[in-house]
Amino acid sequence: MKQPGSASDPLWYKDAIIYELHVRAFMDSNNDGIGDFQGLIDKLDYVQDLGVTCIWLLPFFPSPLRDDGYDISDYMSVNPSYGTLEDFKRFLEQAHNRNLQVMIELVINHTSDQHSWFQRARHAPKGSPERDFYVWSDTDHLYQGARIIFTDTEKSNWTWDPEAQAYYWHRFFSHQPDLNYDNPQVLEEVLRIMRFWLDMGVDGLRIDAIPYLVERDGTNCENLPETHAVMKRIRKAIDEEYAGRMLLAEANQWPTDVRPYFGDGDECHMAFHFPLMPRIYMALRQEDRLPITDIMAQTPDLPENCQWGIFLRNHDELTLEMVSDDERDYMYLAYSADPRMRINIGIRRRLAPLVDNNRRRIELLNSLLFSFPGTPILYYGDEIGMGDNIYLGDRNGVRTPMQWTADRNAGFSRAIPARLYSPVVMDPVWGYQAVNVESEQSDPSSLLNWMRNMIALRKLFQVFGRGRLTFLHAANRKILAYVREDENEKILCVANLSRFAQPVELKLEAYEGMVPVEMLGYVEFPRIGSKPYPLTIGPYGFLWLELQPAPSVEAGETARALVLQVAGASDWMSILEGNGRREMEETLLKDFLERQRWFGGKSHSIAGVTIEDWAQMEGASWALALVEVVYAAAPPETYLLPMATSFGAAAAALREEHAGSVIAQLASGEEEGVLHDALFDPAAGRALLEILSTGGVLRSRKGLIRGLPASRLASLLDGVDGSPPPRVSSAEQSNTSLLFGDKLILKLFRRQQKGPNPDTEIGRYLTESSQFPNIAPFGGSIERQRDGEEPSTLAMLQGLVRNQGDGWLWTAEELDRYYEACVPQAFPWNALPQARPEVRPGLLELSEMPESEAAREHVGAYLDAASMLGVRTAEMHLALAAPTSEPAFAPVRMSRQDAERLRQEFVDHGGGAFDALKESLSRLPDGVVELAGLVLSRRRQAIDRFLQIPAHDLQVLRTRIHGDYHLGQVLRVKGDFVILDFEGEPARPLEERRTKQPPLKDVAGMMRSFSYAAFAAVNRHTARRPGDFQKLEPWARLWELSATSAFLRGYRERVKGLDLVPAAPAVFEQILAAYLLDKALYELTYELNNRPAWVRIPLSGILALLP
Amino acid sequence: MAKLELPEETRARVEAAGEADLLIAIPAALRPDQVRAEAERALAHLATTGDYARLRTVVSYPGEAGAANGNEAVPEAESAAGPRFLPYAPPAAQLSAISSISWLAPAATYRFLFNLAAELKVKAMAVAAPDLALLQTNSLGSLVAPTLDGGWDLAMPVYPAGKLEGLLNSSILSPLPRALYGRRVRFPLAQDFAVSARMVSASAQPRSLPSPEAHSLFWPATEAVLRGCKICQVPIGVHRVNAAEGIDLSTVLGLTVGPLFGEMETHAALWQRIRGAEPVGGAGSPAPAPEDGAAADPRSMLETFQLGFRNLQEIWSMVLPQATLLELKRLSRLSAEQFRMPDDLWVRIIYDFALAHRLRTISRGHLLGALTPLYLGWVAAHVLEIGSAYPAEAAQRVERLARAYEDGKPYLLSRWRWPDRFNP
Repeated sequence: MKQPGSASDPLWYKDAIIYELHVRAFMDSNNDGIGDFQGLIDKLDYVQDLGVTCIWLLPFFPSPLRDDGYDISDYMSVNPSYGTLEDFKRFLEQAHNRNLQVMIELVINHTSDQHSWFQRARHAPKGSPERDFYVWSDTDHLYQGARIIFTDTEKSNWTWDPEAQAYYWHRFFSHQPDLNYDNPQVLEEVLRIMRFWLDMGVDGLRIDAIPYLVERDGTNCENLPETHAVMKRIRKAIDEEYAGRMLLAEANQWPTDVRPYFGDGDECHMAFHFPLMPRIYMALRQEDRLPITDIMAQTPDLPENCQWGIFLRNHDELTLEMVSDDERDYMYLAYSADPRMRINIGIRRRLAPLVDNNRRRIELLNSLLFSFPGTPILYYGDEIGMGDNIYLGDRNGVRTPMQWTADRNAGFSRAIPARLYSPVVMDPVWGYQAVNVESEQSDPSSLLNWMRNMIALRKLFQVFGRGRLTFLHAANRKILAYVREDENEKILCVANLSRFAQPVELKLEAYEGMVPVEMLGYVEFPRIGSKPYPLTIGPYGFLWLELQPAPSVEAGETARALVLQVAGASDWMSILEGNGRREMEETLLKDFLERQRWFGGKSHSIAGVTIEDWAQMEGASWALALVEVVYAAAPPETYLLPMATSFGAAAAALREEHAGSVIAQLASGEEEGVLHDALFDPAAGRALLEILSTGGVLRSRKGLIRGLPASRLASLLDGVDGSPPPRVSSAEQSNTSLLFGDKLILKLFRRQQKGPNPDTEIGRYLTESSQFPNIAPFGGSIERQRDGEEPSTLAMLQGLVRNQGDGWLWTAEELDRYYEACVPQAFPWNALPQARPEVRPGLLELSEMPESEAAREHVGAYLDAASMLGVRTAEMHLALAAPTSEPAFAPVRMSRQDAERLRQEFVDHGGGAFDALKESLSRLPDGVVELAGLVLSRRRQAIDRFLQIPAHDLQVLRTRIHGDYHLGQVLRVKGDFVILDFEGEPARPLEERRTKQPPLKDVAGMMRSFSYAAFAAVNRHTARRPGDFQKLEPWARLWELSATSAFLRGYRERVKGLDLVPAAPAVFEQILAAYLLDKALYELTYELNNRPAWVRIPLSGILALLP
Repeated sequence: MAKLELPEETRARVEAAGEADLLIAIPAALRPDQVRAEAERALAHLATTGDYARLRTVVSYPGEAGAANGNEAVPEAESAAGPRFLPYAPPAAQLSAISSISWLAPAATYRFLFNLAAELKVKAMAVAAPDLALLQTNSLGSLVAPTLDGGWDLAMPVYPAGKLEGLLNSSILSPLPRALYGRRVRFPLAQDFAVSARMVSASAQPRSLPSPEAHSLFWPATEAVLRGCKICQVPIGVHRVNAAEGIDLSTVLGLTVGPLFGEMETHAALWQRIRGAEPVGGAGSPAPAPEDGAAADPRSMLETFQLGFRNLQEIWSMVLPQATLLELKRLSRLSAEQFRMPDDLWVRIIYDFALAHRLRTISRGHLLGALTPLYLGWVAAHVLEIGSAYPAEAAQRVERLARAYEDGKPYLLSRWRWPDRFNP
């Protein structure tokens, strides 16, 4: 009967900790000197107590044992030395009862030459199905491209068989003939074997020597497409017939070559990360993190359901196949002084001897193993620091009996020592008298107890198995620092690879405000601020720090301690004046603000918060307040804060569902309630809409708040009454929006600045005065006028536009399809010479370049969209440049002073960007350092480019413009575009955002956005297939050039003959080029501060502009 | 979807019963003969509230087919509003040691009831203690309304209790889960509670659970936190005291605190992420606290504590750190008038016992036996402290202890994660 697997989570292997052991070496129950299944069952409590979750059994099948059991002579039985099939089943049941999964070996590349299939093949006639179970040849010259793996013992991959009168193929020892997967019967037999074990309930299968399954002449006979086809068949059979099982690939290859064994999540679930292991040892010895960060940079992302298997040591040699010759020489010198320690291309030693039995080094390496992305695999005995015996042959020195006690034979067996399958380790340092389980169990400070605690700790944090990894590039390369994170958890890991204490400063701005909590002892560290975070780590020390959100704790504590007494739901005097006001200003508002996503002052230290002004509607349970935040070292800011009170079940629901919106606890007589952000109160949302739509007026303490409906409001309100209660949109960052069904969006501008908000101002102007139709319909606004001051905008109402996504997402999807289609094709250089990097068309040339047939064939309909976007952009500019009596919108000519000021601004911005790049050079990812150097060498050229703008009357028009124009600011709507968000860059002062500027600034913004879209999509694609970068680069250039050209063409044609942009081609080109460069340098500064991994895009953009 | 785990016989009865709106589930029927009458009466009262007049209700309790006074296993309801009765064969796990306390049923039994409710596709399930007091006191409506109409997934009862009643609950069973799982639930091991269809569906299990669940208890609030369900508390007029009468205290501790410690191991990854504790939703007015019976005599409890200090030092020293032992030594010398157990000391004792339970420092039975004199010491101190206090003051005292559990949680975390004996 088919037994189910033991794990309930189908992704169990992602959280697993695997313990690799050999039945023969673990425990002997019948005193014959050889470990057996009954012995293993007796020791399952030990394995469970260690905390590992999965047992990986090395081959236990009948075998001549000439390769430690990897030479199998019968796949569907148990080697009698280890027990019977019934013993195995009992073991499986006992393991499952302890919630331990079990993985066994599926050696399918080869069999033993004693297997009945091979004996039958030797005697079968040439060409018969029986003979064809293996790979035969009349000559040993076939497959010359295949390397020899066991160089110490084998001289050829072919061996002559006198019986068959032919050569047979073997990638490993000559007694291990390779199976022939060109014979369909072979795969059928393999599937039959697989089902035999999976039916018993085995949870995982390790597929040995996976790259070598299929051979083809003219290749190196590794990783061939036919091999992947075999693996897909095996996986398909598992998925169809079993649940919760796992395939682990053994492919000693580079990560990019292993990546295909995961397929699209439809080959193996796991694969070993072989090259990481030697590099961990290299980094330790060199006291330099580079070997590790270097190999991790070459490690591609995996499909969601896949996982790396990582390890420090295993039953084989520490393989050095995946290192360079120099690195191999270094490793031999560093870790195998005695030549006996070397075998094949590797080092045959256990973990503890490799690091000279230094406890801190062992702990450090295990801390890396447990915190790196992947499932850690422990080799039996390494948890107690077992040694090896380099005087035993092959790799047997690391396969000696487990050392249980200081008794005879290390407690492994009661047999006479001479009968043991292998001598136990007996020397004074590593011998079983000194290193054994029993003594370490009774020693609270033993390595075994340390390992047990670390394993238990790791199991508490799923992020170790499933989260992302980001390296922090600290200046001190002896420190390896990285963050593991997912949606729920963030863990900072810091390791000192040096034998001396090391200082380090970590750039943790992305985690500002969080509190690192040391995970082993639950010790709180100082809060992360805006400056680099200093740490000192002892010799070979490591820290695991859980980054916890601090403000919510403080707020929670405060909320617990403070209860504001009110006399009813509308008693705002008690909250916003008197004692309530004092509590609000001293404690509650600060705590609340720091928890809000829209609060922009998180990076500054708050010196004080005051309620600047407030208003309420008579008898209402909500009020509008403006709070001023004073910082210790930054100008003050004012924020809009609508507040409401709720009691009873409504209050409980708010605490439960929107805990972050709670400002304070309230008490009204016996009733308990909360003071909270009013936007989570549907009544308050409706009241705001009412004020806006009716032109309602509220008197505040210091002025007036009034609704200003727009002419189109009536049509927009149609049907809103019946829509569901307003809800808070989750999309906003710096503001908050309320959605009224799918009809309206009311955007509240949280940070208040004096003067009209440009978004409202332009929205109203384009709707009421110029009739530009391609914007979201403007419904009106709520403004506040403080006595004697210019009005400021509190909120703006717009109609929601049905769309196919914003321009960025829509373009990203188009590009994903484009690259998928392009990858298999050779780039048509002849048809598209303009895509060569050395060909750099000028901007005017670009706008006049006719659309080529080849570009149309590949880029397709997107060209029409880009052209349409050019036209709509021009129309927006024309609408904003139309003659008007409104001073805020009347276009003006750029004066000589304006030109000089612009030139100086460009120079200042550019200089700042180059300084930032220079300062960040040592922290940049290795792959972009050269590019950054090239850009730095163009500093003079860039400044000259700006200085070339002539300081005389340029005949350039300055108008109101969009100001922050890119693909994310437009919506794709039924083959057309709608332009959104005229707020400008929110970080800049309002006055600057309302300044009139040449429209070409917007044109440059959109052109850079095309470039970003093209290369961001390449990044996405190559994250899955790193090898495709070279192939995709010309395709990306083609797309960018074609889209930009179409956009510019559309724009110029629409403004042709109109006085919007400079008529003189040279001035047009000069201004546009300057804006492009300015924008690219702005992007560079932004990426350096926020997303160093993206810095390649602006760097390439700058180089393209400064050839 | 995989079939939920139900015995074939029960499944056949469920299929015959069809779908229902409300399941009233009784985990152990002490008085099966009364189940029908009490359920009909309670449902008739529920129907008077109007909204619930047409609820299709099934009442399920352990028993053989036809056990309900000779009725059919699944009798047709006499009217559209009448309940249907569904006796079920108790799962084997019910026969575990836990059942020696009448009001406790193992987690496996509750899991079985969730599966039953899921198969019946109910809108809500009310679990009623076997004494049927929930039905007799007309409290059924208060408990099920929040799950049927109020948007809550779990309604937990707040029982009226005198200031000297329910001390095991006040000292360990309530504040410990509250600090661990972050929900302020007053009676987390309540025998009466109601759950929504959402929680039924989230908690039903398609396959057999590992055998340890037979020996563990069901903590509805913990289950709700695990499944992301919303909890509220409802005052009900059922007075429950001295439910463990006749059973020695060590057994009670072993059967209640032991499983609670066991749950900590299972859900370590969850509770170690939770900081602080939030109030849960509430509805209804609390019933007045009943008068306390005769005042307990703390002196005999104090003597047991002092005797424990003399005899159990060796065991305590394997569990508790030196600083705690020193404080206990000081306490053991105090007279009854002076005797007070500081909250932080008690909290650390419980946390260290929880850790020793996880590490199996000594046999778990002996461990919980060694907790008994310490618990009596706490009870003695509590009685001495609040004996003459007003009920409200006593409630505040219990709340202060619960806060001490929350404040002491970092101590538990550090000990749990790195259980080195070489500590202060």
